[in-house]
Amino acid sequence: MADYKRAKWAEWADHIKSLDDPATNFEKPEALDDLIVIDVSSRSMAGCYCSSLLAELGAETIRIEPPGGDLVRTYSPDGIMNKDTGFAYLQEGRNKFHITLDLETEKGREMFKSLAGQADVVIETYPAGRMDEWGIGYEELSKLNPRLIFASISPFGQFGPESNRKQFDYDNVAQARSSIQYQTGEFLTDGKTYDDMPWAVPTKAGPWIAWCVGGAFAAAGILAALHYREVTGDGQAIDVSSAEAYERLNDYALHWYGDQGHITERFGSLDTALWLYGFFPTSDGGVFLGGLRLEMWKAFVDILGKWDEWGADEWTTLAPFMKEDWQFKYQAMINPETSKYTSHELTQKSVEYAKTGRLAPITPVVAEIVSPWQTMHDNNWIERGMFTPVQDPEYGSIVCAQAQWKATGTPPRTKWVCRPVGADNGYIYLKYLGYGPVMLEELKGSGVV
Amino acid sequence: MTAVFKDYVKNKFSKPGPLKGLRVIELATLLFGPSGPAFLAEMGAEVIKIELPPLGDVTRSLKPFDWFYKEQGPMFMHINPNKYYMALDLHIDMGQDIFKELIAKADIVEFNLRPAVTNRWNIGYEDLKKVNPGIIYIEKNGFGQWGQYAEEDRPSNDGAAQALSGYAWISSFPGQPPLKQGIWICDYFGGLMGETAVLAALHHRRKTGKGQYIEMSQSENIMRAMQWVWPYQQMKGKSVEPAGNRDQCICPADTFLCADNQFAAIAAPAPDEFKGLCEAMGKSELADDPRFKDHTTRLKEENALAILKIIAEWARTKGADDIENLGIRHGFAASRVHSGKDMFENKHRRERDFVKEIDDPLYGKYVEHCFPVMMSKTPPKIKWTVRPVGFDNEYILTKVLGRNQRQIDELYTHGVIGKWKDMQGRRPPSDWDGKYGAILRR
Repeated sequence: MADYKRAKWAEWADHIKSLDDPATNFEKPEALDDLIVIDVSSRSMAGCYCSSLLAELGAETIRIEPPGGDLVRTYSPDGIMNKDTGFAYLQEGRNKFHITLDLETEKGREMFKSLAGQADVVIETYPAGRMDEWGIGYEELSKLNPRLIFASISPFGQFGPESNRKQFDYDNVAQARSSIQYQTGEFLTDGKTYDDMPWAVPTKAGPWIAWCVGGAFAAAGILAALHYREVTGDGQAIDVSSAEAYERLNDYALHWYGDQGHITERFGSLDTALWLYGFFPTSDGGVFLGGLRLEMWKAFVDILGKWDEWGADEWTTLAPFMKEDWQFKYQAMINPETSKYTSHELTQKSVEYAKTGRLAPITPVVAEIVSPWQTMHDNNWIERGMFTPVQDPEYGSIVCAQAQWKATGTPPRTKWVCRPVGADNGYIYLKYLGYGPVMLEELKGSGVV
Repeated sequence: MTAVFKDYVKNKFSKPGPLKGLRVIELATLLFGPSGPAFLAEMGAEVIKIELPPLGDVTRSLKPFDWFYKEQGPMFMHINPNKYYMALDLHIDMGQDIFKELIAKADIVEFNLRPAVTNRWNIGYEDLKKVNPGIIYIEKNGFGQWGQYAEEDRPSNDGAAQALSGYAWISSFPGQPPLKQGIWICDYFGGLMGETAVLAALHHRRKTGKGQYIEMSQSENIMRAMQWVWPYQQMKGKSVEPAGNRDQCICPADTFLCADNQFAAIAAPAPDEFKGLCEAMGKSELADDPRFKDHTTRLKEENALAILKIIAEWARTKGADDIENLGIRHGFAASRVHSGKDMFENKHRRERDFVKEIDDPLYGKYVEHCFPVMMSKTPPKIKWTVRPVGFDNEYILTKVLGRNQRQIDELYTHGVIGKWKDMQGRRPPSDWDGKYGAILRR
């Protein structure tokens, strides 16, 4: 039961919880359980994440790896393996049947065609043109199956001058290409070099965000193509570049350069367009501070006890605070003040101010910058089912980030986290190609599966 | 080039968008809310953005340093293309009734308000379901609709989500404070995933006729993108720590300072890629070094740091473009770190029509990103940018709801609908001729 003070609208919270609590997910229907998806992605978590999304929504998803397994199985800090699988793929093998198939062989390609002939969606991440060279690209497959939706995720896309580069898609390279890394990171202080401050460089995000965004855009495209297919009966080819997908989430940097010739540079943990908005140090870590209205900024200054000294009475607009030099000036004034408190004390001061401050109930947003360890142990997320372990038949009880949204009708869910390499060869090849154990042994002997 | 995409750009406007025929109603501000519906609009859905008159979306005021584009907030422009703009006062019951009339003719409705606010306006899920049982209703916010943080009515935004999810913690260099991203990633990625949720629900509705209620928290959403972090912590019993530009799961994969003071990212984990990189460095023997013999061995922390040091020393002797070209020649992944200038000048982006010049009736010509999914039969497109508050009231009320001029005038008189306030970002740009771009205005 909730041990916090209930909201005035608690009845609504209880009502929605009764309809969408993930604890009841398995009682509900699945949105995509009429679909067959083939994921033949290679070396790329963009493809694996894309097919995970569809698999979490109920699609029968067949993951094809080369005999011996895809390289993604080895993605793991320190090279740590759990049976045959690294930590990363323990997240992205979810809900998929895993089979092996050597596409370098003619027999393998023939079998692939048979599977694709029965599928609704194919996802692939080979360098552009590779599937065509093998005779299993969209042109060939659409002759067999005009309803097929064929999604390619690659570094440079399927057309355009750079698309003939035969490279695989990697997250850190896509982040670099997106221009977002360029404008993220600490800035060099005057007179210092990169050797003095090796951390003050263009900095990528820790997570594989370019891969996730590439995979997510591909999934959105696939679902939109499905809508169109229901109307017309036609499948189609989909082309996503992970670098472009992530770049689309860069805001106005392109427009700014086009209009003003301005290159957006690194700005530390401040924000070019917002104030009060950034990370600030505390005695035991740091906090995010947000106060996008003048009153919220004033309330924050009041919390620091600087209302008179900094002249908050005189402020009538936030506009000048967004200027670059003002941001630096006030950052330098704020840092020593926030450093006097722990993150928790500062958060509590904000909560208290909302009750008793001179501008109450207005108060700034104060959020502790926590480690993912703290996140994983935060009761709020645990109660909302974000970290409910998956009871996997092969890998045991595994903590996963659970579905990205909650829904009353067809919520996404995770049934298993992964399967060993080739674990479902028997089931899938029997179900789709009619191959029994004898045939399968033969194929194994010749190295096709 | 893959044959199916031959002449893709040339023929873009001879084909429909994939979501042709869908109608979406949006009541949302800032970024998390409005960014998603724009993606649907780029894929051909009719998206009606509802704002409160006369000020509308606060994003119209956001100004990076000292730059507005023709008095408009550039962030507002980037995330709101292709929409129709209606200003409706939902505090008034007549406004709520019009909203419901629109819902009766819509497929999807999107909000980003605090929990239970729509209930106070009589447009909560239970109200709208009565009008349209097939409606797909999504509410996006910081903490969802239930749980401690939601009930404490905590405000949230992108920066808070970066802080609370652990995303910022693992995105800096070791020993340095957590780093905020240069973009509003939790907002924007949330916006995108919200549409994945909506489109999946649409497929279910086609089969069953049933709509549903969806809630999304921007913090929860980004946690899913942190992937390996969670089982790692579970099994190692400790937190994941930051590693700067080094990818902790892939080796080698890092960003390197180059001779020209630019930066290049390299990734070469597969045997063929690693061999290619070693050759490019003129150190083929490294591919046979027992420390680097296969990917799993190379990932051991001491081995990873050793190979990255070797690459870093080599990179300091090459230009960033040279490294990119060596990647093409030797078959490993490499790119110079691109800036805003590259986005604008790079030919590849232009030839793919990913970066294009928009020709807008109100805002003139400017350069913008297109939708990053190319679809052979149904190309998504960007057509126009934002509009002043309430700019398309007449079009929507006439075409969708069949109101005549007298009825529309009456709605204005009662303040149910409104137009822009005479201020920056709300009114039309000063060089607008008063006509171009207006639809069905009498």
